[in-house]
Amino acid sequence: MSDPGTADLAHGEIAQLEDLIDRESLREVCRSFFDLFGLSIRVFSVKGSLLANVHEERSICRYVNSLPRGKTACAVTVGGAQALIPEKGTVVHPCFTGAVYHIVPIIYDERQLGRIILGPFMPADVKEAPRSLLQIDPQMDAERATTALREMPRVPAETAERIATHLRGVLDLILFSGHRAHLTSAMHLATVRESYRELAEKNARLQEAFDKLKELDRLKSNFLATVSHELRTPLTSIIGYSEMLQAGIAGEMNPEQSGFVETIRTKGELLLALITSLLDLNKLERGQVKIEPELVDPKAVLTEVKETYLPEAEKKGITLEVHCADDVPQLLADPVRLRQILINLAGNAIKFTPESGVVRLSATATQMAMADSDEDDDGIGAALMMAPEPAIEFKVQDTGIGMAQNQLDKIFDAFYQVDSSSTREYGGAGLGLSIAHNLVTAHSGRIRVESELEKGTTFFVTMPETPPEPD
Amino acid sequence: MQLDFQARELTVKLVYYGPALSGKTTNLQAIHRLLAPEGRGRLMTLETKDDRTLFFDLLPLSFSTEAGLTVRIKLFTVPGQVIHNSTRKLVLQGADGVAFIADSQVNEVRANQASFKDLRKNLKENHISPSKMPLVIQYNKRDLPNIRSEEEIMRMAAKGKERTYLATATHGTGVMETFLGLIKTTWERMEEEHTLAARFGLDHREVISNLSRRFGVEAPLE
Repeated sequence: MSDPGTADLAHGEIAQLEDLIDRESLREVCRSFFDLFGLSIRVFSVKGSLLANVHEERSICRYVNSLPRGKTACAVTVGGAQALIPEKGTVVHPCFTGAVYHIVPIIYDERQLGRIILGPFMPADVKEAPRSLLQIDPQMDAERATTALREMPRVPAETAERIATHLRGVLDLILFSGHRAHLTSAMHLATVRESYRELAEKNARLQEAFDKLKELDRLKSNFLATVSHELRTPLTSIIGYSEMLQAGIAGEMNPEQSGFVETIRTKGELLLALITSLLDLNKLERGQVKIEPELVDPKAVLTEVKETYLPEAEKKGITLEVHCADDVPQLLADPVRLRQILINLAGNAIKFTPESGVVRLSATATQMAMADSDEDDDGIGAALMMAPEPAIEFKVQDTGIGMAQNQLDKIFDAFYQVDSSSTREYGGAGLGLSIAHNLVTAHSGRIRVESELEKGTTFFVTMPETPPEPD
Repeated sequence: MQLDFQARELTVKLVYYGPALSGKTTNLQAIHRLLAPEGRGRLMTLETKDDRTLFFDLLPLSFSTEAGLTVRIKLFTVPGQVIHNSTRKLVLQGADGVAFIADSQVNEVRANQASFKDLRKNLKENHISPSKMPLVIQYNKRDLPNIRSEEEIMRMAAKGKERTYLATATHGTGVMETFLGLIKTTWERMEEEHTLAARFGLDHREVISNLSRRFGVEAPLE
């Protein structure tokens, strides 16, 4: 409420005449009155600024002003008329020529905002030049003065009052419209300011919540890292002792015991793999995985992956093929991580491909535009940024169960499972693809998927031959 | 309330609050219609769209007291629709009294309550304690079917502190009573807080009888 603008708004008060009236328009209105009634009009604000002045110098005024004493007397009269402040109604201010000024207050919303000065004009009942005119200057020529006085407009008092009322009515309308426009714009401004304040408050609250969540996320990652690490230590012992039991270090076991220990060992290893994936993902998400690139031969990597899965594929009756032309160039990548990407993808392919299916691993030379990342894909500077560079495209293609189109954009999310029901046929923690995606991105590569239900799935991993220097 | 000692002028702001379409503007229109033209300003409506108030309506009234004090009363309405909350809050600034215009229809109970909660919240956000704000309640639209019964309203009103009125603003009934009740409640509060009677020789009886006369009613109410 300390802001005066707000205080005005709170009571819907009008500011001042100057703010509400366009001077040019006011002059036009006064001019049209002058043209209609031949009466000079001046409009003053309550502070005394002249807002409109439409008048014509009368012959008598010109004559009086040509005489030294007349000029002085005229200035006093006009000054008096302009200084007069009518309290309630019209005030009549006489001139020594017998003419009068009518001074009419402009009242709006019970407040005086200014005044209108009408005249000089001759009241209808003044017939001849008064003595006050003839005596004002010793050089006054009575005949000339009388002739000049006849040209002064004659207006009966009641007509003058009607003209004033009419002009006041017009002004009131202008003031009302101006007042309304003034309040509307003030209200617009205040409303916008208030909305801005509310939004700023809300933003601050959101920022606070966001910071809290970020901190929670960091705590979660730390917790995950610690827990995974703590789980791994005893698990290594479980696996190690199982192996020792199987090796017969603690004495021979019968086939049934050996089978039980084998189950303990394989489940332990599964659990270890899961925990390792969790740790990996955690590190990847925190950007803690270091990529150590060296020259890698695509065909060699694919062959290695094939050898890893060959026993499992044979057991399921799946054909596992590698296609890689000899001229596919080497690429700069972290060999361990590249192998991990392909192993994750190939593992999935084998898992979801039924008996007598085919899983095909391949690599071809291709080209890719490095700058074509999602966040910068606004098409700006395409002629520069879309320049293709040599790359290698790895493909992992299967003839498995496939996925529906609406699943495809979620499969790279951590812990996402296409079938997450408790009775699902295929196991896994849903981390493999997320890890692969993170690793590909860490190499500035791209991964995408094409799939059709019951037909099979193909993963495409495009890796630059030479990863760009980080920005 | 604004007191201008030099001009011996007192400005009082009264706000008509309530849910959308409860008849706040209709109340002001009826007051404007019923009052004698002397000292009654034009009813100003800011920005209407499909006959709904977007910002506010403003009806200025004024009169002079025997002690020579000019009293200016500004009647405001707020826009009822929920989305215009910041406007409602702005209009409430500097309010001396509030008339809450409720819709009598049975299925408008929730809207009335939500708007009243909104009033309390906006008063608090303007740092005004809702219990200290002079308040009257009007149950409008008595001519409609399926409305809450008078007996029921009066039974509920008896449990509260506020003066409660029944009205059909479209016909002009109950409008003056609500307005004069609001003036009375507001003046009692202002007298208590600013000792108006002692300082300006102005008490609510003079104000009420003055305004009543301008409604064409000689005997002061209650």
